[in-house]
This record gives sequence, C-alpha cells and structure tokens, in this order.
Amino acid sequence: MTTVMDLSNALASAVERASGWVLAVHGRPRLPSTGVHWRGGLIVTANHTVEPDREVTLTGPDGRSLPASVAGRDPSLDIAVLRAAVDGVPAADIADDGDVRVGHLVMALGAGPRASAGIVSALDVRRGRHAAGELLAVDLTLYPGFSGGPLVDVRGRIIGITTSGASRHLQCAVRATAVTRLVEHVIRGGRIPRAYLGVGTQPVELPDALRERLGLAQRTAIIVVSVKPDSPAAAAGLIIGDIILSIDGRAIAEPEDLVAVLQPDRVGAAVAMIILRGGEPREFPVTVGERPSRA
Amino acid sequence: MTPHLAQAADRLREVTVEIYGSGGVGAGILWAPDLVVTNAHVARAPCLRVGLADERQVDAHLIIADRRADLALFRIPHCGAAPAALGDSDALRVGALVVALGHPLGLRRTLTAGVVHALGPARPGGRRWIHADVRLAPGNSGGPLADTAGQVVGINTMIAGGLALAIPINDVRRFVTSTLASAT
Repeated sequence: MTTVMDLSNALASAVERASGWVLAVHGRPRLPSTGVHWRGGLIVTANHTVEPDREVTLTGPDGRSLPASVAGRDPSLDIAVLRAAVDGVPAADIADDGDVRVGHLVMALGAGPRASAGIVSALDVRRGRHAAGELLAVDLTLYPGFSGGPLVDVRGRIIGITTSGASRHLQCAVRATAVTRLVEHVIRGGRIPRAYLGVGTQPVELPDALRERLGLAQRTAIIVVSVKPDSPAAAAGLIIGDIILSIDGRAIAEPEDLVAVLQPDRVGAAVAMIILRGGEPREFPVTVGERPSRA
Repeated sequence: MTPHLAQAADRLREVTVEIYGSGGVGAGILWAPDLVVTNAHVARAPCLRVGLADERQVDAHLIIADRRADLALFRIPHCGAAPAALGDSDALRVGALVVALGHPLGLRRTLTAGVVHALGPARPGGRRWIHADVRLAPGNSGGPLADTAGQVVGINTMIAGGLALAIPINDVRRFVTSTLASAT
C-alpha cells in the first residue's frame, strides 16, 4: 500500500524534476513570471506577462541570464512563445492531458522552485474567449509570479500552463495540447497566425417569435456593425446589419464566441456562416484570413 | 493512506499546547515533558497559563524570549506526556506534504494541510523560512508545522501573501540547546 509519506516524496521529486525546465521570465516591470522550455529553444509563458516592445530576459534553473525574443502570441489563450538559446535546459516532459480527471492531484510551479498543490476541479471550462477543451480549472493558489508556469501531475509531467489572466475568479490552466498546437505553429511558420474576418460585432437578442420560427435554441446572436474593406467578410458579401447565428454549426451567441471559433489553425480554411438577413437565414461560405500585422 | 496521516495528526495534537496570552489564544509545542517552545510574539508575559492536550492547565515561567528570532522558551511542571518528535528541516524538499496544527481563530487543535512552497529567505539577505502553501490564521502562531510522519519541521510564525512562514526546526533546536547550555 502506498503511504502518505511515499506520496509526499513523489510530490517533492515531481517538483525537483519539473523545475529543471522552468525559467523565470522578465518581460514586465518588477514581478517576473514563469516560463517552460517546451522544446527546441521555444519557451512558453503567459502572454499578459510579456509586455509589447520590451526586452525579454530569462533566468535559467542554474541562475544564468538569457536574452529572449517573442516568437508568437495568442492573446485569446493568453500564451506567448519565446525563442532563446537555452542550451543545457532540458525540454519539458509533456503529459497527455486527455488522461486528466476531475479530482487528480496537481501542482503549480513557479521559478525558484516554488510550488502550490491542489486538485483539478473542472474540465472543459468555457470562459469568455476560451473554447471548450482548452482550459482546466484547478483548486489551488496561483501565487504572484506563477503565471506562465507549469501545472504538473504527481510525476512532474506537464499537463498545462497556469495563468491568472484567464479569469479573475477561477484558477485556470491552458491545456498542454492547446499549447503544443501553438508551439507547432511557430516551428512550422515561425509565428502564430491570428485568424481574421474583418467584422465588428455587438450582441443582439433574438425575438421569441423568430427563434420559434427558425427552431433556434440560442437566445442571442451577434450583429455586424462594421465591415473592413478588402477583408474576408467583405469578400464573402457580409454587410452591416447582418446577424451571425452560427459558424460551422457552432452557435454564436456573443462576440467572445467568434474569437473562440477563430483559432490560429482556421487561417485559410473555408467556414460556413449562417447569417440572418431580412429575417431569413442564409448560408455564406467565408474563407478565414490572417489578421494584418499592426502598421 | 488516510490512517497514516490521521496518526500523525493524533501525535501532533498531543504535543500542541494552548498559550493564554493577553491577545487571545496562541499555540506552542511541548518540547520536553517540562519545556514549551512558542513564538516570542505569542508569549509576552514572564508567567502565563498553558493548556495541555489532556485539558490540564498549568503555569508556565519564561526562561528566555528572543524577539529578533521570535522564539520563546517556557518551563512548565513536568507533565508526564511524550514530547514532540522533531524532524530535520534541512532535509525538507519543495513539494513535500506538510500539516499545521494550531488554534486558528480560536478553533482548538485544528489541522490544515498543504505542501512546502519554497525554502529560503522571504527577501534577499533575510533569514531562512519554510514557506508553506498551507492555510493558517491567527492562533496558529507558535504551533507546529510537521511532515507526514508527524515530525515537527518548523514553528508557524507568520502569514505573508497567503503563505505560511515557519521557522525551520533546526534553528529552533539550536536556540533551545544554546539557551539551556547557558542557563546551567
């Protein structure tokens, strides 16, 4: 039988192991955040802790200071990918987060090492701009500076990246699979593309009579209030006043749902948008574009 | 797994005393059958009442209080109870499970659990602390932080930023040893 002392030793060993690929990230004034060497010189951290147009340095587990550059950002997931010559810092052991269950014992780590322990409290958390399957909710304390650090299982394998930026009330972690997807974008294309339609939207309430007539479960949708010229939305023929009901069968009830649908991998993909125009639903095929970089 | 931690908790309950000072109840550790260690900020009087685990109350007389170290040592009448088992705070590792026993908000002999958060000074150049991710409240001060075997590894002293700060037991051991050596 496993004793509680064995468990205690296992947790301490997990911290020791995982702290080998954890770095301190200096990307904002005063409080450093935490980063993880994901693979091949790419370091993952929380996007909100790396200020734009700022020199970023890392402190390795051995205390070395290393210069880093921002390779890509995904503000919707609050993940930034940094590039640095982290020779000697091993790449993280990433767990299959599909095995994670509610109630599993987990730890959040900060550089130092620092640790806090708790349990997985919910899977498939949907909050604001986050799509289902991207966030885990955890019942543990994320201490100042923990953002961007790893959430590890009892073996020290990484199942997510913690961030206080996802919610003010819940402690959340971005699942490792979602993070790996972003890192792979950087490996393939040198950056994280940001999907783009070119519309400005506002939420609108759908009248009951209309919902009944069309058999809609959603109570709200979003109305187009602006269309950028030469954008994917303009090319598809969207005009001001169109109401977007769904994209690829996923109901769009609020503007955040649009952001959740527009994942980086959707760039270049054709999606089917159901639009309400003049009280009648129509299907518009739209090719998702890439957000132009800031001039 | 549970009985082991429950056994550790039972042992800790027996060596955790109540210190009745001017500002409510604090905690202390039965160091020897006739010695109690607590924080200096908990015990500000040269003579005070101490509540033992078996409900007895005894008079305690101050041997020494070191305000800087925030440690105080008291003599009590030989109580016949087994004193605390001490661990080695230098062997502690970040992530290890720890438990705290005390009287948070006056709730007698309450157990809280968590992990070692960090080891070292709270700010550069400061004294070494055990930082624990364990919930404490006023009334925990002076009480034990222990490992899963029930061996005392620290004395809970402060709450900072939601973390428990405990004085490493090896420092306390040195304090008690040098105090007793100079007193005889």
